[in-house]
Amino acid sequence: MKLTALALRNIERNFKKYAMYFFSLSFSVFTAYSFLALLQNEQVSMAFAYDTRYSAMLSTFGIIIMVFVMFFLISSNNSFIKARKKEISTYALFGMENGKIGRLLFMETMIVGIAALLVGITSGIFFSKLTAMILLDITMASYTGYISFFIDFPAIYITAMTFLIIFAVMGLAGFRVISKFELADLFIADKMSEGRSKGSILLLILSVILIGTGYFLAFFGSPRVVVISSIPILLLVISGTYLFFWGGLPKVLSLLKSNKSSYYKGVNLISTAAFSHRMKSIGSLMATIAVLSAVATTAIATGFTLYTNLEKNTYDMLAYDLSYRDGDPSIKEDVYAIFKKHNIENIELYTADRYTAQVGISISGLDNDEAGALFGKEEQFIVYSQSVYNQLTELSKNDAKPVEISSGEAVYLGFYYFPESYLKQILGQKLLLPSDTVKVTATAKNKVASFGDRHSIILNDADFDRLLKAGDFSIISEGQQSAGAMTIINYEKALSSHQLNQDLYQLLHDKTKGLTLAYFHYTEGLEVFGLVCFIGFFMSAVFILMTASLLFFKQVMAAEEEQHQYKMLRKIGMDAHTEKQVITKRLFPVFLVPLAVGILHSVFAMKTADTVVFSNLIPVENTYLTVLAFSAIMYGVYAVVYGIFYFITKGQYSKIVK
Amino acid sequence: MQILKVENISKIYGDKKNARQYRAIKSISFEVKEGEFIGVMGASGSGKTTLLNILGSIDKPTNGRFMMGGKDIATLSKKQLAKHRMENIGFIFQNYNLLETMTLKENIILPLALRGTGVREMEEKVFSLAKDLGIIEVLEKYPYEVSGGEQQRAAACRALITNPKMILADEPTGNLDSKSGKELLDLLTYINKEYKATILMVTHDVFAASYCQKILFIRDGEIYNELHAGENKKQFFDAIIDVMSVLGGEVR
Ligand SMILES: Nc1ncnc2c1ncn2[C@@H]1O[C@H](COP(=O)(O)OP(=O)(O)O)[C@@H](O)[C@H]1O
Ligand SMILES: [Mg+2]
Repeated sequence: MKLTALALRNIERNFKKYAMYFFSLSFSVFTAYSFLALLQNEQVSMAFAYDTRYSAMLSTFGIIIMVFVMFFLISSNNSFIKARKKEISTYALFGMENGKIGRLLFMETMIVGIAALLVGITSGIFFSKLTAMILLDITMASYTGYISFFIDFPAIYITAMTFLIIFAVMGLAGFRVISKFELADLFIADKMSEGRSKGSILLLILSVILIGTGYFLAFFGSPRVVVISSIPILLLVISGTYLFFWGGLPKVLSLLKSNKSSYYKGVNLISTAAFSHRMKSIGSLMATIAVLSAVATTAIATGFTLYTNLEKNTYDMLAYDLSYRDGDPSIKEDVYAIFKKHNIENIELYTADRYTAQVGISISGLDNDEAGALFGKEEQFIVYSQSVYNQLTELSKNDAKPVEISSGEAVYLGFYYFPESYLKQILGQKLLLPSDTVKVTATAKNKVASFGDRHSIILNDADFDRLLKAGDFSIISEGQQSAGAMTIINYEKALSSHQLNQDLYQLLHDKTKGLTLAYFHYTEGLEVFGLVCFIGFFMSAVFILMTASLLFFKQVMAAEEEQHQYKMLRKIGMDAHTEKQVITKRLFPVFLVPLAVGILHSVFAMKTADTVVFSNLIPVENTYLTVLAFSAIMYGVYAVVYGIFYFITKGQYSKIVK
Repeated sequence: MQILKVENISKIYGDKKNARQYRAIKSISFEVKEGEFIGVMGASGSGKTTLLNILGSIDKPTNGRFMMGGKDIATLSKKQLAKHRMENIGFIFQNYNLLETMTLKENIILPLALRGTGVREMEEKVFSLAKDLGIIEVLEKYPYEVSGGEQQRAAACRALITNPKMILADEPTGNLDSKSGKELLDLLTYINKEYKATILMVTHDVFAASYCQKILFIRDGEIYNELHAGENKKQFFDAIIDVMSVLGGEVR
C-alpha cells in the first residue's frame, strides 16, 4: 500500500518526464487497437477478407507493427529506468532493497501502463470510424462514405490482454536493469563510456563500398540486372548502413577530431566529444531509422504514384471501358438492354475484324540479343488496316496516336509490356508476307488492343485490301495470336457503377473471349495500392513517432548523466550563449544524420522501385521525378515531426542540465 | 602586489521580503596578494563555500564590493562574469571533475578552447604543463583509464592553463584518502611555488590547512581570526588546532 502511494507520488512529481513516456505507451496502444478494430470491422473485412492476398498483407503488417511496438516499448522502458538512476540510487541509499525498488518500478509501469491503455483504447475507439473510413475511401471505387461507429469488444479484449502482458514484461525487465546496477555505479554517474569506439577506417571504407555498390547497381544497372539483384541491393545497402553507424561514423568523428583547428574550438570540442561518447548506444537506433525511413518512404511513394496514376494506367493498358473478341453479333442486343436497365445513354460501340498473317523476319544479329528470343524466323502477326487502327485510336481513352502509312510500309506494334529496346530491333527491317514485302518505318507499343497480342502491324489501306484479297490473312486464331472480330464499348459510369459492370460481366464472360472490363482492373488496383498506401502511411506514422520518441528518451537519459559536466563547464567559464550552441550541436546531429542518410537511400531506392515497378511491371511515364517529388513531401513531413521532437528534446535537455 | 580586495561583502539567501531569509555571509573584508596560498577554514555551514563561490563569481554578493584587476566584479553582467571566470579564475574541484567524454589533453585545453585560443598555443601550453606535472604519457587517455593522481594532475593543469590570477579549490582533499590528499597538497604547493599561482583553498582539514601561508577562520559568516605560518610548522599546526577547537570544527 505504501509502495503504491510512493509510486503515485513519483509520477506526480516527475510528471513531465512521465508525460512523454505516457504518450508513447498510449500511442502504441492506440496503434494496436486501431489496427485490430480495423480487421474486425464489418465493412473492411467484407472488402478485403475475400482475397487471401489482402488478408495476408494485413496480417503481416499487423505482425510487423506488433514487433515494432514491442521493441519500442522495451527499449524506451530501459532508457526510462536509466534516466532515473539517481532517484533509484537514493532509494537504495536509504536502504530499500533491490527487490522492493523493482516492485516500485513495476508498480509505476503498471499504473502508467493501465492509464495509457485506457487513453489509447478510448482514442482508438473515437478514431476507429475515421481510420476505417479512410481505408475504405482510398481502396474502394464504389465506396459511398457511410460507416457505422463501432466499439469492438474482441479488439479491446485482445489489446488489453496483450498490453497487460507487455507492460508486465517491461516491469519485470526493470528488475533485470536494477539488479545489474551496482550502488557504487549509481553514484559514479557514467564514468565509463557506453562504448565509445574509435571507429575503424576499414569499416568506414567497407560501408561506403557496400552502400556505393548498392547505389551503383540501383542507378546504372539495366532493368534486368536491377530486377534480379533487388534483394542483393537491399542487403548491400542495409548492411552498409549498419556498418556505417557502428564503425564508420565513429571514424568520421575521429577524423573530424584530428582536424585540430576546428575541433579545438570550445563548442565543437564539447559537443563532438559528448556525441562520440554516446555513439555506440545510439548507433543502431540511427541506422534503423535510416533504413526504415527509406523503406517506408519508398513504399509509400511507389504505392501512391501507382494509386494516383491508376485511371491513366488502366486505360493505357486496356484502352476502353470494355472489350471482347468473337461472340455472337446478337449479343449486342443484350448489352444494350443492360445499358437501358441502368439508364446509360452515352455509349460508343465499335466492332472490327482482326486478321493474322504468317510473317517471315530476317534480322541479322538478333540471335545474340535479348530480342532474339522474341523474333523468330517466322512469327504470327495481327494485321490492322490504317483506317481501322485510326478508328481504334479515336475511341481509345489513352494517348495512342493515329498513323499515316505509305504503300509498302508498315508500323509495328509490340506487346504493351515490351521494353522500348525490343521495339528498336525491328525498326527498319523487312517483313516478308506471303505475297509481298513491307518495311517497318515506325514502331509503338500496342495500346489499342489488350488481347495479349505479341506482334501486330498496321498497313496502308490499299496494301491491306490487296493482300487480303490475295489470301495472305486469316481470320482464324492460330497459336498465340487471337484473330476474329473485336468489339469495344465505352460508356458512362464505367469506373463507378459496380452493378452495371457486374451485369455486363455476367452476360459476356461465358459467351465471348478475351473479355476485359476497365472497372475490374481499376478497382483491383485501388484495393492493392490503396492498401499499400494505407499500410505505408499507418506504418510510417507509427514508425516515425516511435523512433523520434526513442531518440527523445535516449537524449533525456543522456542529459541526466551529462548534467554535472555542464555544471563544471559553467564554472570554467562557459557562458549561456556558448552553452546553447553546445546543446544544439550536441543534439542536432542525432536527429539529422539518420534522416539525411534515409533521404539519400530513398533517392536510390526510388530509382530501383522505378526500374522494377514502373518500367517493367506497370509502365508509367516520368515516374522517377514524380515519385521523388512526392517523397520530398513525405520527407518534409518527417522533417517537421523530427523537428518538433528535436525542439522538445532540446527544451527538456536544456532544463535538465541547467 | 595585491590582486584581490574584498570589502564588506555579505550574502543573504532567500527572498529579501521573505521572513525566512538567511545571512550566510555577514560582512567580510580581506585582501589577497599575488603568490599567496591562503586557507579558509570554518565549521560546516559557516559560509566557506558561499564565500568561495562569490570570489569565483559563480554567485553574486548581496552587498559589498570585491575588486580584481581594478574592476568591481560584483557589478559585471552575466556574460562579462563568464568571461572574467574564464580569464582570471582556475577551479580545482572535489573529484577532479574531468569530463569523461574527453581525453586528459582535451580536458586540459578546454578553458582555452572556450576562449578561442589558437591550436599551436594550446598545444605548447599543454605540453609544457603536462611535462612539468608528469602526465605527458597519459595525455591521450580518458579519465577512467588513468589513476586518481593523474586525474588530479590533469585537473591542476586545466586550472593552470589559462594563467589565472587566482586558483580556487573547495575542499579539494575532502574525498581523498590521506595519501592522495597529501599528493594533491604537494601539487598545490608546487604550483604555488613554481608558477607563482595565487591559491585560495577552502578546507576543514587541519592537516591540509597547515600547507597554507595564511588562514582565514570563518564563523557564522564572519571572519573570526587569521593565522600566518611561521618558521615552525608544528607550531602553526598546533595553533590551527587551537582555533578550530574553539570554532567547533572536527579536528582530524
Ligand atoms: N542556495 C542556498 N540557499 C539557501 N541557503 C543556502 C544556500 N547555499 C548555502 N546556504 C546556507 O548558507 C550557509 C552556508 O553554506 P556554505 O557556504 O555551503 O557552508 P560551508 O561550505 O561552510 O559548509 C548554510 O547554512 C547553508 O544552509
Ligand atoms: Mg562547503
